[in-house]
This record gives sequence, C-alpha cells and structure tokens, in this order.
Amino acid sequence: MKASRARLFKEYKEVQREKTADPDIQLVCDDSNIFKWTALIKVVSKQKNGGKKKIGPSETPYEGGVFQLAFAVPEQYPLQPPQVRFLTKIFHPNVHFKTGEICLDILKNAWSPAWTLQSVCRAIIALMAHPEPDSPLNCDSGNLLRSGDMRGFQSMARMYTRLAAMPKKG
Amino acid sequence: MQNQDGAVADREKESAVSIPISEVDDWANFADDDIMQQQSAIHAEEAKKIPFVGDKYLLCCNLTVLASYLLYAVTLFQGNSLSVVSLSNTNYPMPMKNGWTVFIIFAILITCGIEKFCYMELQEPLSMLAAEYESGSPILLEKIKVLDQQYAAIRRTRGDGNCFFRSFMFSYLEHILESQDRAEVDRIKGNVEECRKTLQSLGHTDFTFEDFFSLFLEQLECVLQGNEDSIRFSPFFSQDELILRSRDQSISDYVVMFFRFVTSGEIRKRSEFFEPFILGLTNATVEQFCKSSVEPMGEESDHVHITALSDALGVPIRVVYLDRSSCDIGGVSVNHHDFLPTSANKSNAKGGSTVPVKPFITLLYRPGHYDILYPK
Repeated sequence: MKASRARLFKEYKEVQREKTADPDIQLVCDDSNIFKWTALIKVVSKQKNGGKKKIGPSETPYEGGVFQLAFAVPEQYPLQPPQVRFLTKIFHPNVHFKTGEICLDILKNAWSPAWTLQSVCRAIIALMAHPEPDSPLNCDSGNLLRSGDMRGFQSMARMYTRLAAMPKKG
Repeated sequence: MQNQDGAVADREKESAVSIPISEVDDWANFADDDIMQQQSAIHAEEAKKIPFVGDKYLLCCNLTVLASYLLYAVTLFQGNSLSVVSLSNTNYPMPMKNGWTVFIIFAILITCGIEKFCYMELQEPLSMLAAEYESGSPILLEKIKVLDQQYAAIRRTRGDGNCFFRSFMFSYLEHILESQDRAEVDRIKGNVEECRKTLQSLGHTDFTFEDFFSLFLEQLECVLQGNEDSIRFSPFFSQDELILRSRDQSISDYVVMFFRFVTSGEIRKRSEFFEPFILGLTNATVEQFCKSSVEPMGEESDHVHITALSDALGVPIRVVYLDRSSCDIGGVSVNHHDFLPTSANKSNAKGGSTVPVKPFITLLYRPGHYDILYPK
C-alpha cells in the first residue's frame, strides 16, 4: 500500500515533468485518490507532413479521435498491473464494446513493474494501430478483420470514432 | 499427526478461498473485472498452498505453527469474547470435527493479516523426498539415495514461477546471515550499482526499478549483524526473522522483482552472448524474451536466467538435477552444474579474486521447479 502510493507519486511527478514530451497522451490523477487516473489519448494522422492523405488499409480509423481511458490501480501496484478500460466507445477487436475492457498481454500475464501508466498508454495507442483480430473481445470487429473485410471494419470503426471520440460540430 | 495435517490442509484451503481477490472497492465499477482477474486468482489460489520459502525444522513444525496461531489469536483477542470462547473449546491438537471453530479462528486471523503464517513450509530431510517418489521411477529413488549422502536437508519454495529467484534470495541472504561476510556484501553492492547503471543505460526510468533495488540493499544490511542499521531496525535479526521476511509478500516479491530486473539488464547488456541461447529456447528476440519471460513475475527461469543472474551479481550457483536421465553403467550419479560467474567480463576485476570458486548456493532442480539444498 505504502509502496504503491510512493511509486504512483513518482509517476505523478514524472508526468508533470514530461508533459510536453508526449503531447498525444494526457494523463491525469484523480484529485482525491492517487489510485484512480484518467488519460486522454489523441490519435493523430501519421501522414501529417506527407501532403495529400492516402486512404489505405494501414491507416487507422481512429484518427482524429480523442479517447478517454480509466485506470484503477491496485494496492499491489507495481507488482500487479493497473486495470485499464476505455471510457470512450470504440470499435476495436481487442476492446470490449460494452465495458471498454482491453485485451492486452501487458495488462495481464506479461505485466512487469518496468511499465508505467504512461508507457501503458503508449502500448494502448500501439494496440489501436495494430489490432489482434485472433484474440477478440469484440467478435463483430474481429470477424470483419478476419474475413478480410477491411472496408467494413474501417467504416464501422470510423463511424464510432466520429460518434463518440470527436467533438460535436455546431 | 494425521489429524493435524488434515486440519492444517483444511485451513490452508479456506485461506485460499477467503483471501479477497481485490480490496479496492472502486474496481466494482469495472463490470468485467472478474474476467480480468480470473487468471491471476486461479494462479494465486494454486500457489498459496505452499509458502514462499519453507521451514528448516521437520518435526513439531505443524505443532509450532498451530501453537503460534493460537498464541496470536489469544494475545490479539483477549477482549473478544467470541474468539476466547472458541479457543477454549478447542482441544489441542485441533480435531477435525471442530471445523467451525477452526474456520472462525482462521477467518479472524485472516482478517487481521496474519495469513503470512500459512506461507510456512518445512525444511525436510531428503528422506521426505524419497517418500514423494515412492511409487515413482527407481532411477529417481536411487538418485535420492545418492543425494542423501551429500546433502543434509531440503527447503522447499512455493512453485509460483518465481521459485528460482526466491530460492536464490533466501539462500544468499541466509549465507550472509551465517557467514557475516562483509567483504562479500561490499562486493555484491558494487555489482548491484553496476546493474543499476546497466538498467539506466538501457533506458529504464529510475523510478521503475529503484524501489526494488533499495529493498534488496536493505535486506543485505539487515542480515549483517553488528551493523548500525540492523541494530536500529531489528536488534535480534535471526534466521526466523529472515524466514518471516521471505514470507512477507511485500518484501519477498520485491526482492524477486529486483533479481528479475538485474537478470533482464544483464541479458540485454550482453545480448549478442545470450541471443543464441534465447533463440534455442523460443523464437523471440532478446528484447521480447526479456519483456515476456524475464521481467513479468511468475515467469519460470531457465539456464539463461541463471547464467545472467550469476554473472550480473558475481555469485556462483550450483544446480543439482533430479531427473530421470539414465545413468552410466558405473552406477547412479546425480548431475550437477555449477554456474560460475564470468568475472573476467566485469569491470571491477579486483572483485574477481574474491569470488569463491565453490558455490555456496545449492539448488535442487526437478523438472519445472527449484528448491534449496543444504550440503552436509
């Protein structure tokens, strides 16, 4: 308990110090409870400087979205992983469509104290760019990808990004 | 004795069930958290049946454990009529029929966080090992006889995937406690600093590992008697204290994790040396191997881990293999392998001379598990 608090406090200071280093991740600690954190992750275009945007299978349908994550840190942290879930609705094979639960090895058996809340956010961004359709939590999404229906997957995911992860226009 | 064993086993079962998976109420917000926790819960339940580190004394140990439970319960709950009544109703040794009493006492103890007592295991003479294989392979039985001639006792560790690191931890600290070898402690501290630099140069943020490092160094200080710190913290640091600490999850797991960091750092620092061995084990790169098989708790250790840890800390380790590999015509012999640190590659070459050639840490390997052996 004491150890986890001390560690989280160090992470908190690090986050404050490194705020500018990772502009796509905004990690915030709950005002009253250091075991509760939220993060906003921004998915930006990879071809920012490439002029005209190309639409292709490698492009992420989450582009332009801002996704909110909730962290619940256990008392045994950092020996045990934080529990992380999406608060923002997302259509992704490894994210539970209803609960936002994330299927990611480092949040389960491959966790180690070498990870931090910040690096977990980076790993989740990487998971968004590289879904693993073979271990799906969202079967509809996984099936679209596994059957090779990239267009179907992309448009579903993009639709939910627009609906849930982008500011409403007007 | 039979009866008690039953009672103890019973209580251990209860403890495994009644230890709450999570105490953070906020987690209730996570609808599927039972799914997320399931794997670790099963893991924990299985593993908790055996303590982190075993006990050295065979006979009367169950009695001692039982007695200490009762003593604790009495001292803690003198004012509590329920527990006093239930205790006075309990005959000693505790009969099985009194299951409710056992349960009540145990539930109380659990809630008071004294459950670390149930991590206790025995250190046993090797004949116990033979009993385990009674109906097993004759080769094993022969080998145990050979072992019995060379080794006095065995101390079991919990088979939770950390058994190599945990055995190493206990064995090393016990050696320091008994030998009071200040030179060795100073030497290993140098190596630990070296490991710290390695991790820093590999891009680890300090705060991710510094807690684990300082906890290990603290344990080192504590086992050295006559040290100011050890007097201040625990004037009577004894083997019992070491056992208690090794069973205290908040210490034991942190030291295990310290070793995991050290091992991972050493493997990545000398990745070109370890790469072929890792490719032989898995299909992973050195980086992937460290991330998936060294750094996470509960990942079992192999030759690669032992070599790396031995090299990094400059501590020789002997591993005795109890397996069914058949023997030469000459008769039964038990294989062992000494992991001798390559002190040549250490920058502090002067430290090389102090490295003892004969390992003072002996571990017994049975496929999938490490325990501690005590030479005669």
